[in-house]
Amino acid sequence: MKPQPSPYDKTVRLSTAPFLSPAVRKYCTLVYHFAERESKSRYKRSVLGWFWSVFNPLVSVGVYWFVFGLVYRAVPPATNNGNAESFGLYLFSGLVIWSLFTGLVNGSMIWLSSVSDLRKKIYFPTETALLGGAASNMVQSVLEGAVLLIIMASFSNISWTMLFLLLAMVLALGFGLGLGFIASVFNARYRDVSYLVGIVLNVAFFLVPIVYTPDLLQRESIPEIVRVFAAWNPLALFVEISRDATYFLQVPDWSRLLVASVWSITVFSVGWVIFRNQSMSISEEP
Amino acid sequence: MNIGDIRVEGVSKRFRLERNRPSSLKEAVLRIGRERNSDDFWVLKDVNLKIPAGSFFGFIGHNGSGKSTLLRLIAGIYRPTMGSVQAKGRLSALLELGTGFHPDLTGRENVYLNGSMLGLSRRQTTMLMDDIVEFSGIGDFVDEPVKIYSSGMYLRLGFAISVNVAPDILLLDEVIAVGDEEFQRKCWQHMDKLRSKGTTIVLVSHSTGLMSQCHRVGWLDHGKLMQVGDPEEVIAAYLHKVDNTTNTLGIHSS
Repeated sequence: MKPQPSPYDKTVRLSTAPFLSPAVRKYCTLVYHFAERESKSRYKRSVLGWFWSVFNPLVSVGVYWFVFGLVYRAVPPATNNGNAESFGLYLFSGLVIWSLFTGLVNGSMIWLSSVSDLRKKIYFPTETALLGGAASNMVQSVLEGAVLLIIMASFSNISWTMLFLLLAMVLALGFGLGLGFIASVFNARYRDVSYLVGIVLNVAFFLVPIVYTPDLLQRESIPEIVRVFAAWNPLALFVEISRDATYFLQVPDWSRLLVASVWSITVFSVGWVIFRNQSMSISEEP
Repeated sequence: MNIGDIRVEGVSKRFRLERNRPSSLKEAVLRIGRERNSDDFWVLKDVNLKIPAGSFFGFIGHNGSGKSTLLRLIAGIYRPTMGSVQAKGRLSALLELGTGFHPDLTGRENVYLNGSMLGLSRRQTTMLMDDIVEFSGIGDFVDEPVKIYSSGMYLRLGFAISVNVAPDILLLDEVIAVGDEEFQRKCWQHMDKLRSKGTTIVLVSHSTGLMSQCHRVGWLDHGKLMQVGDPEEVIAAYLHKVDNTTNTLGIHSS
């Protein structure tokens, strides 16, 4: 018995972009859906809504600026034109990258576990939930970046090199999502992973030159192993690229860009492969 | 393979029993190097089956015979441990209450979510929305979060989505029994319509009355596909087995 064409076939053909296969279109619709859901739920039932996404990082910057800038009197490095020598801005330019990174790693575990029940009842490619969440986080980070640029501009510290901030964010996105892929599949099996990740991120924050300048980590008094780690730390690279772009207003070093890209692409690919291999069994977890 | 065909080839499905699984990272690390306890449970054993497009197929069997697992394998929710499962076309499955619903989202948002999982664009889902809401009969509740729904409303909305997206394959795991009489009749009417359009319908049920309406019936017993064929024959064989078991236990059916 030959099945008759379903009554909706015609509409399918009319509304589909001809260059997208149905599978790709389905994939994109799902990613979009999860991104929308994440963005909507983030500040649901809050009066000020998106205001919080700007307010939050500003408060962190304020706190670190008070502790390290005022109490410890950390001296920020000079900017290229000498206009914005504020430790707060120096912090902010690194913090945007860090908050994107941690948001992705922590978020991935939440995004996966929030769809695992759903996945037990209906098939869909699980990574779309993570890709959607990541897209939503990226939008948030771009907003933060815009605030940073506005403040920098108000100090007349502005240049076209700020475009590299977007590149720094994309590199951190690949790196953070790659690690997020790995953390989330393991977290689905062992809930310990999220606690472990929390601790590791806490330590890692102080190993990345955000609240201090990178040269401070290369002093004699620092243990050799920390110095070597600091020199190779990919997160430090992303932070430095962001600083070059927005604080020092110089084109980031090409070798730095290259190493950072290799890190980002490699970690993302490894995470992707692990996730694709492991995520099928999520529906079978009790 | 035509659209609507289902092919199950040499499928076995193993579940690792809970007590043998490390439940924490610590336990998992402590276990490294130790011999794996092979206390696995085979839910399905070497099942071979072809369900041609447009047919109405039913599965019977005792609780735990693997019927629902087989349905989940066809739906792509589980991956077979051995063998392969293929189902061609748009597949819509109603396996348990609240198929693919996210509790925090409203009914309407869940329709969009389900639609995108079934491969519909937002525009297509919007076009179907009125039909779905009308069929479900849940009215204004469609804009409330589904977590406040009654089980009947869950079922109604789930079923309304499953049948209104024009599926090529429809999988049902005896959920229809939750609806009231009126809704059940509506479901059967709609399924007749789908059948006449050539939709493959696969049903799991304990109701022999329902099974006798199928084109073909498969009988699963402890993960093995015992018999596939004419409903009356297969049901008779199944009931015969049940009679034997209950007789040895000293239970007599009237």
